[in-house]
Amino acid sequence: MEEEVGKLTFWQTWRRLIIGGIAVILFFLVWEALLTWFIPLNKFVISKPSLIFLGIARDMESGILWRDLLVSGRPLLFGFGAAVLIGIPVGVVMGWRERVGYSLDPLLTALYASPLVAVAPLVIIFFGVGVAGKAILIFVLCVFPFVFNSLAGVRSVDPLLINTVRSFGGKEMDLYRIVIVPTVLPFVIAGARYAIGRGLIGVLVGEFFAASEGVGYRIAWYGDMYVLDRMFGYILVMMVVAILFTEGIRWAERTAFPWRVGM
Amino acid sequence: MSDMDMPNTGLAPVEPVDDINTPGFWEKNESLFLGFGFIALVIIIWQLVPSVFTLSKGMKLFFATPTMIVGAFGDLIASGKLWPALQFSASAFGLGLGLSIIVALPLGVVMGRSQVLSDMFDPFITAINATPRLVFLPLILIWFGIGMWSVVVVVFIGALFPLLINTYEGVKNADKLLINVVKSYGANEWEINKLVVIPNSLPFIIAGLRLAIGRAVLGVVVAEFFGGSSNGVGVIMVRASGSFQVDVVFAGLILFMAMSLILTGIVRSIEARFSRWRPQQTKSF
Amino acid sequence: MADYIKAENINLTFTPPNRRPVTALQDFNLSVDEGEFVSIVGPSGCGKSTFLNVLLGLIPPNTGVMSINGKTVSGPGQDRAMVFQEFGLLPWRTVMDNVGLGQELRGVSKAERRDASQKFIEMVGLAGFENHYPHELSGGMKQRVGIARALVSDPDVLLMDEPFAALDAQTRDIMQAELLRIWQEAKKTVLFVTHQIEEAVYLSDRVIVMTKRPGRTKKLIDIPLARPRDYEMRVTPEFNDLKLQIWNELKDEIDSQGGPVND
Repeated sequence: MEEEVGKLTFWQTWRRLIIGGIAVILFFLVWEALLTWFIPLNKFVISKPSLIFLGIARDMESGILWRDLLVSGRPLLFGFGAAVLIGIPVGVVMGWRERVGYSLDPLLTALYASPLVAVAPLVIIFFGVGVAGKAILIFVLCVFPFVFNSLAGVRSVDPLLINTVRSFGGKEMDLYRIVIVPTVLPFVIAGARYAIGRGLIGVLVGEFFAASEGVGYRIAWYGDMYVLDRMFGYILVMMVVAILFTEGIRWAERTAFPWRVGM
Repeated sequence: MSDMDMPNTGLAPVEPVDDINTPGFWEKNESLFLGFGFIALVIIIWQLVPSVFTLSKGMKLFFATPTMIVGAFGDLIASGKLWPALQFSASAFGLGLGLSIIVALPLGVVMGRSQVLSDMFDPFITAINATPRLVFLPLILIWFGIGMWSVVVVVFIGALFPLLINTYEGVKNADKLLINVVKSYGANEWEINKLVVIPNSLPFIIAGLRLAIGRAVLGVVVAEFFGGSSNGVGVIMVRASGSFQVDVVFAGLILFMAMSLILTGIVRSIEARFSRWRPQQTKSF
Repeated sequence: MADYIKAENINLTFTPPNRRPVTALQDFNLSVDEGEFVSIVGPSGCGKSTFLNVLLGLIPPNTGVMSINGKTVSGPGQDRAMVFQEFGLLPWRTVMDNVGLGQELRGVSKAERRDASQKFIEMVGLAGFENHYPHELSGGMKQRVGIARALVSDPDVLLMDEPFAALDAQTRDIMQAELLRIWQEAKKTVLFVTHQIEEAVYLSDRVIVMTKRPGRTKKLIDIPLARPRDYEMRVTPEFNDLKLQIWNELKDEIDSQGGPVND
């Protein structure tokens, strides 16, 4: 019988994580050591890990961190959700109907290439400083990856598979369920990975411009008051959130779509 | 969806006819006509909206027609404000991009050749790459103050990662077989790099450059917008939106968009030239 | 039963958009007896794969009658199943779920499907791989899945479109022997398209040689070699005579054609 794909050793599977983990721990240790024993700590310019983590703990305790996360998260949820609900159908139609695709593609590509964050002030002024304005801004930034990826997904549907399913008696609904959705889904999820990054930018832009709460606001606020350790803390939190989203989606892609090796 | 179409319903077998179905000028360029036609249509409708509909006072404030935008553009150039701002933004862009190339390329090559090093840097790269750069802006302002350097740093960070990651991927991807072949002819480390690694990585690096340019333009806008400096096109834009000069904002937007498209377009054609030897690959994100 | 599969005066012309019309089949006639193993050999682009698709019911001919067991073909049906050159396996489904595709589309219950699929998975020699995904299988294994899938729905006619063309030479030899073994067991009528003369002679009772495009039946050649066939037969003089016969018919069709033509 022919061969199976070989299984990896323990070291091979965990190697990256272990070396990476050691590097990160080393980084924090060196950072702490440098500012504790070697370089005088100027609290208005930088901070060190022990203070930063302490600051995060304090912000968690006082509840301010959670509140900020919630406030930032709401428009993100709405904007991102709207991008999913609108972007995917648009992309699918563009991929399905060739002519629609041709018509919309250049315009959308041009829009995607423009720094849409520049319209942020206009959007906020027009739609208000509340959740709506920020959500719309986030939507505008998030929608493009969904459109383009759904488009690519539909275009990549394999005609052979369509023929195969038809040859076994499959009807229209069967084609969608068995071939089209499974083909397009991985593209959409990959698009979500890009979109969430842009969505986070939207959150920050909106809050830098006009807000009274939220993670972005708080970072700028701490910055204005030169409370560096809390500022670093929030930046770290933001990084963790971003990593969780992005790598989380990556992990979901790997487990849910194991056949997309090398893509 | 496939190439096969429904057959004719005529009874006799069809003789191949010369003119009827050979693609003409309109058919061959159909996608271009549809695309640009649509954009033209949108512009025309946009221009006509205020004349056809009566807009409320509030909307009027926001509705900048294409002609108004072109007018704003002209004013900016005429008033002499555009050129120095453009110079400022462009220099920040160039400096940041240049620095990122200088750092990314060697680092990417080294990482590509050493598995241990890439594993060590990996978490940091993943972390910073996943994070929106904007989150560092307040910190950057504290460290670098208001002025060109803040903008340069933001551009640098944005451009660094696509370049770094792509260079690394390109180097890592160098065909082990080819390396062995070249080694068997007695090549040393330097020659291996010259003959196999670099030509193989070039398409990746250029693709990375293309992505980096997009991010760099974005970096300029974002940094100038949020007080990164008091000069630059982005600053003009943010002041204009503060005083409701929507046409100026859009003019700036289009300027940046054009810059981005032109530069990435140039890189794309360079990319195509350097990728001629590669088999076609499906493009997606 | 004679004329079990019967094609009478089939004509088929395609008009792809923006290109000249292409006549794939012209006055194509063919007749196959029940239980026969018939190969169709022809130059690239002669329409042999197209004919299989007509027989499968995916493409209606412009004129002419296509019938199986007296009934005209008007769409895909349970009496026919195809094995594809590029396997056509759904990458997101396991071997078990791929094999059960035909039955699933026909509404057979999950339990019944499982039992039937299991039987054929074992018959093609893939016991133990039921829960593997296609990307974990080698080319030969993938094609075994394709064959199992075709057999599960118990078709009367098995259509095979260059099924071993994508495999390496050794795997191909193994698969040919396996196919004959399965065919003896399952007793189907088989229509096998190939452009490998040796493969055609080794496997078939009869070989049909097609002309270049527009395709027509040029010559029918009987293969009176004893069954079961074994590898040694390939080096006998009778075998080589038959090969030469077919080659002589075929080479006129290839001479007058240029480079590769899409089939």
